[in-house]
Amino acid sequence: MSVIRLERAVFRYAGRPEPALTVERLDVARGELVAVTGPIGSGCSTLLLVASGYAPSITGGTLEGERRIEARRPALVFATPWTQLTGIAHTVLAEVAFGPASDGLPREQVLAAAHAALERLGAHHLASRDPALLSGGELQRVVVAAALAQQPDLLVLDDPAAELDPEAADRLYDLLGDLAREGRTVLVATPDVARAAHVATRALVLERGRIVADGVPASVLSETDVARIARAAGCPGPLPLDVAALVARVAEAG
Amino acid sequence: MKLRDLVVIRLGVIINLVIGQVVAALLLPLFLDAVGTILVAALVGPWAAITVGLVSQVLNAVLSGNFSWLPFGVIQVIIALYAWLAARVGAFRRPWTAAPAGLVLGVIAGSTAAPIAYHLFGGATAGGVMAVTTALRAVGMPLELAVRISSVSTDMLDKTVAFVMVSLILRALPNQLRARFPAHA
Amino acid sequence: MIGYVAGRSWLHRAHPYTPLALAAAVLLLSFAFHTPVPVWLMVAAALIMALATGTIREVLGPALLLATPTWLVLLVLHGLLGEPPKAPFGPFLLSEPGVARALVLGGRIGAIVIAFLAALATVSPARLVDGMTARGIPFGPIFLLVSTLTFLPRTRERAARILEAQQARGLRIGGSPLARFRALVPLVLPLVLGALAEVDEQVLALETRGATSGVRRTPLDPPADPAGQRVLRLGLVVVVVVAWAARLTNRI
Repeated sequence: MSVIRLERAVFRYAGRPEPALTVERLDVARGELVAVTGPIGSGCSTLLLVASGYAPSITGGTLEGERRIEARRPALVFATPWTQLTGIAHTVLAEVAFGPASDGLPREQVLAAAHAALERLGAHHLASRDPALLSGGELQRVVVAAALAQQPDLLVLDDPAAELDPEAADRLYDLLGDLAREGRTVLVATPDVARAAHVATRALVLERGRIVADGVPASVLSETDVARIARAAGCPGPLPLDVAALVARVAEAG
Repeated sequence: MKLRDLVVIRLGVIINLVIGQVVAALLLPLFLDAVGTILVAALVGPWAAITVGLVSQVLNAVLSGNFSWLPFGVIQVIIALYAWLAARVGAFRRPWTAAPAGLVLGVIAGSTAAPIAYHLFGGATAGGVMAVTTALRAVGMPLELAVRISSVSTDMLDKTVAFVMVSLILRALPNQLRARFPAHA
Repeated sequence: MIGYVAGRSWLHRAHPYTPLALAAAVLLLSFAFHTPVPVWLMVAAALIMALATGTIREVLGPALLLATPTWLVLLVLHGLLGEPPKAPFGPFLLSEPGVARALVLGGRIGAIVIAFLAALATVSPARLVDGMTARGIPFGPIFLLVSTLTFLPRTRERAARILEAQQARGLRIGGSPLARFRALVPLVLPLVLGALAEVDEQVLALETRGATSGVRRTPLDPPADPAGQRVLRLGLVVVVVVAWAARLTNRI
């Protein structure tokens, strides 16, 4: 069953005549973890917004074609954490609890959801801190926790590890993998192809607003440095995308 | 009120509160504390702009501690409405039509501020205005007139510059951003 | 300096509406009274409020800083330059009705500033948000009042950075008045345009978190609002209405 379906979809931003996104057909099923990548301006962010239903409703613009989204209030996370704060929460816990609190859930449930989300992000020690005083990395984890606290069926992230150090980025992508295995659908746009490829079940490559490749990450995402080296060395078939995979391939080759 | 309006109103209030910092750094005899109000009037509409003005008045009091100036909030409503009307007749399309429009607002706002300053505060309000008032009074001018003159003259300069500034801002908006504000053709 | 000061006084523990109601009452009553004695009774009331909250030291300093320049101007404008009859006071000749007026106006400002600073000192923003949420106040007003203050420091920082950047590019902030006016543009334009460009993302972030859910938001730690305080606040409203009625019918 598709969580997201786009058919003959064309999206244009207000004030710009050329389409920002043209999608013939896209089906995303439940539990998929889709990595979306492409050069800057290729429409990755736009695809995320259209696929989650927030374009054109919030962004303005026009959408032609068909779209169906089977998810209640998809959660959205961007690369710049400070623009995502509500501004009315004076503790991290209150910030993370805003989503479930806005659903009018009982207090215990709200707090439980917030605590659980912070735990999963390894950010529980930040619960009583003031969000305005956190570092970029800490804030990014808080923002992801805030999205998670809403128990979203569909989680859409735009370069969520931009502010994170490599270790924290690894943990975040591992978490995304867990979430997908739990049955949530995850879309993540990222220039960090290697990390995404590790956990993604599917990869989309965009160029100039169109999907030019769609498939299993290993066969689609071939632009990591390692992959380029492997290709140059004449490596056949699906290219290894990171060092571990390259080492394994070399070992296989004897 | 729509969420988008709320975010733009917040932006307007923050602009009102922060530009004062820029003006102080340049040592200019201005407040420019209504640029946000005027901008939102042109970009969104009268109710949003009035909200910007009133919220700015309250938060200014919270930040400075001087809550006695809350009654001047009435002036913010006048500024908001006037700016909206000015936007509708296209005053902001060129800086040299914005300037006289701002001048007129300065006269109106200053004249409205004067009776408030006189009756409620006996002429003792904001620094620069007070200085002019005191000087005029010292040379024998009746207090009510002194308050009116100092209030109007400082406001004329302030609102003229504010209107020109908003005109420049609107003209500098990139097309994509401009399209996000349907009220501003 | 100005703002919340932690404490355990009764007003600190009261529902956040209560200290604000007291300060608002002081403000409205100060404008209703127009002779020195009742106005300075309001000053006394405000001082008692500050003492009761244990924040008198934090409040009095800023209050005097704010009020003193105005008091001096009032003394000059009304005392020295006021209407006859005049009476000698040391080396000066002061106008009697002028001094009375200065006392009223100065007392008003003093009472209002002290009362509100005391209220600000006892109301923590987090508690106020929870209090307002518990009372069913919708997201909009809370957002406008609170998140603006939270976002302010960041924007101020951005303004400072724009100033540095433009100065590095050769902008001079000194010079002739005309040059300084023109310097406004490269400082204000980037600030405003940058802020406008963020609007869409901010709206998205709030929308996806349910800010417009229309459902009453659950407060996390709602402050208690005992009946006694609600009665007190109602009583304040009554007192203010009576005072203004008396004022408008010239009975005081």
